[in-house]
Amino acid sequence: MTVSAIEFSRLGPPKLRLHAMRCTGCGELHPWWERYHCYSCGGRELVEQELAGPGELTNYTVVYYPPRDFLGQEPYVVGHITMDEGVLMPAPVVDVPPEDVKVGTRVKATLRRMKLGHEGDVYYGQKFVVDDGAAGGDS
Amino acid sequence: MAALLSYGVYLPRYRAPLGEIQRFYGRPGRPRAKALATPALDEDPLTMGFEAAREALAGQAAPGAVLVVTQAPPVGLRKTSATLAEALGLEDVVPMDLGGQPGGLLDAFAIAAHMAAADERPVLVVATDHLVSHAERVADMLSAGGAAAFLVGSAGGFAELGASARARREVYDVWLLGTEAEPRYRLEVLFEVYGVVAGEALSSLEHATGRAVGEYAAVAASQPHPQTIRALGRCGVTQEQLAATNFVGEIGNIGAASVGVALALACDAASAGQSIAVFGYGGGEGIAQAVEVVDAPPAIDAAARIPGAEIALGTYYRWTRGRQAEPH
Amino acid sequence: MRVGVLGIGKTPHKIQHQKSLRDLIVEAGTKAIDDAGVDSRDIQALYLGNAASPGFNYENSTGLMGAHHLGIVPSPAVRVEAACGTGAWALHLGCVAILSGLYDTVMVLGAEKMNDLATVEGTSVIAQAADSKEEYFSGLTFPSGVALTARKYMQVYGLTEEDLAHTSVKNHYYGARNPYAHLRFECTVEEVMRSAKVADPLKLYEVCPMTDASSALVLCREDILRDQPDKPQVYITATQMGTGTWYAAGDTLDDAYNLLAKPAERAYQMADLSPADMDVAEIYNSFAIQEPLGIEALGFAEQGEGWKGASDGATWMDGPTAVNLSGGLLCKGHPLGATGATQAVDVVEQLRGTAPADMQRPSAEAGISACRGGPGSVAAIHIYQRLEG
Repeated sequence: MTVSAIEFSRLGPPKLRLHAMRCTGCGELHPWWERYHCYSCGGRELVEQELAGPGELTNYTVVYYPPRDFLGQEPYVVGHITMDEGVLMPAPVVDVPPEDVKVGTRVKATLRRMKLGHEGDVYYGQKFVVDDGAAGGDS
Repeated sequence: MAALLSYGVYLPRYRAPLGEIQRFYGRPGRPRAKALATPALDEDPLTMGFEAAREALAGQAAPGAVLVVTQAPPVGLRKTSATLAEALGLEDVVPMDLGGQPGGLLDAFAIAAHMAAADERPVLVVATDHLVSHAERVADMLSAGGAAAFLVGSAGGFAELGASARARREVYDVWLLGTEAEPRYRLEVLFEVYGVVAGEALSSLEHATGRAVGEYAAVAASQPHPQTIRALGRCGVTQEQLAATNFVGEIGNIGAASVGVALALACDAASAGQSIAVFGYGGGEGIAQAVEVVDAPPAIDAAARIPGAEIALGTYYRWTRGRQAEPH
Repeated sequence: MRVGVLGIGKTPHKIQHQKSLRDLIVEAGTKAIDDAGVDSRDIQALYLGNAASPGFNYENSTGLMGAHHLGIVPSPAVRVEAACGTGAWALHLGCVAILSGLYDTVMVLGAEKMNDLATVEGTSVIAQAADSKEEYFSGLTFPSGVALTARKYMQVYGLTEEDLAHTSVKNHYYGARNPYAHLRFECTVEEVMRSAKVADPLKLYEVCPMTDASSALVLCREDILRDQPDKPQVYITATQMGTGTWYAAGDTLDDAYNLLAKPAERAYQMADLSPADMDVAEIYNSFAIQEPLGIEALGFAEQGEGWKGASDGATWMDGPTAVNLSGGLLCKGHPLGATGATQAVDVVEQLRGTAPADMQRPSAEAGISACRGGPGSVAAIHIYQRLEG
């Protein structure tokens, strides 16, 4: 169901930062959960690499039946975002009507609340908003 | 002299129908704002502060300290500034949270000025709030959410932080008892004391700077209610001076972020050689400060973010109550 | 290889608030034991597949619970778990047990009771079969993860949602004829298209319901069944398993294909058969798109063409290989741990000739079941044959 505050102390902080994992052996970038094994070269040493933020929505779906922690946000878009650095990130895409999103839409990462844990802890995590190139945001 | 190097603003994109909210509660009278800027269910003062801070930090040197001014920290007994610094990927920073009253941005500027002078690195100041009101108080509180961020350096920048002056009355106009979740208020007291301390603080500022109130290009003020804007008018502030910075009637009261967003709007509209009077108010205390614009500000067009997307009454309640409910 | 199927049994597949998980286990297990003509004490090992009892039912160690209440004690029992492939993994272990020579007669049972929780809670429990701490933490659910695959498939092969809707029409046609199915109504392409959205582009009639059920088989050494010629001579002649990615993010269409295609290739070799020999197939389809993908992986159609059989008849009763004459998971539901075992029971019924007449493929002699699980992580292929003499 959900996790305890102890597990939150492990899982929470990495989610504050937009990052991928880079294999020190072959240099390949993997999604953030690949902390143990590089499927490209079999290597075992992976390190965090910060991502800049922008990417492209290469696939998406619209969720109408959410899990408990996302109740109240449906319908919401969950996408596969190919970051400009090349790695794939699954994440919600928010602040845009689902019908206005399509494969190829440019997006950029932002920090949002993900859920309340079962001991009242608040998880933050990465979601994406449409990148319309408006003023503001990062360089 | 401490300077403003850059700034950022974040307003949530959604606008709740205040008129319908009032009707829902059977509250008579015209709504005091067109809409309430409402953070989505997955937003809070930390995430809003994050966005504003990112804008202010773009292309700038890394700060040595992060000061967060808020009346609504998402999690108590720990520093929002510390989590914000972590999320921004800032290393080796001193995090500080300032509570106090919603006009505290200027307290933060005062602290930031000293810290920046002692350190080669600038100080990031973030004012962010979303005071969620309940029941019949929501219409009066005009509660909305938003954030503003400023990077304060020891020198350089587009504007200098000038003299400041304070005035205070020991009154209860808007307050929150520690034992209760919901703010209490006496609007008649707010309207009266706001005008009184604004007059005194601006007058003291005039003595300190030799500049009359009318000579500022703009006045950027905390605006918990449209009546407080009118109170400023009775202090000699003109409509022109408020034209760019008056937004409470559009999006509601954004708490500690109110004076910050007003200042950002003033900076966007300012040019070198002009000066801005900033007035932060809360809990019976008013702080006025002169900001001298010396260079073209790095404008962000904050005004374009005032309009937003309408949400239904039901959505407003789902979002503003949802975060209080324990999912399990 | 030949592993004898001595007995089979299953419960109705539907919401059954009056029955507990152990009620379902005992019902299916007892039917299988009786059908096998053995005593519970003759069962030498119990492989009980149950994917999520800690989540759905706040109880663990389901294998031990099943062994006790089925009267299998003191024979050994274990709970088997491999996400949605759980039931098929229990089947595989049962086969391995027999083939190892250590056991003569074992029981394979799959059971899941999903409806003691509200749907929204159940969805969250199901998500624990994927990485609920990281990838699925981001608001993904199983329907939405598979929806991403559906969209990719439609994009790559230029299909419309209508093209895919035929799969649901076929499954519902047969599900309406299956007395054990959860959903028993026919539907048209229009009705599929109008059904409520679940995770775009998947719609309600393209996703399975949450079901309570149990299915069981008694397996035995080949000669034990051979020596009872009056019993239907149905044998399992291949069992091959595989894994794939645990992350939807890593699951390309080629990965989805290879997940099932590689074990299927080995299974055909093991049984010395080819796709053309298969009369019936039970292909995992908790979401409609998985049926075309499975049809392609099992060699019944080229990649990108698996969806056609539902509209041109090739995968209906009279086509070369009838797919999901049971109504598939779309109609039977997907009681996670039971599904793989239910597929086996349904193929065996086809080969025995004991399915209801309007869903019975005449003279079925060879069948195949394909079960999968997780975001793209479990594959299980079994081949069954009726071998007289």
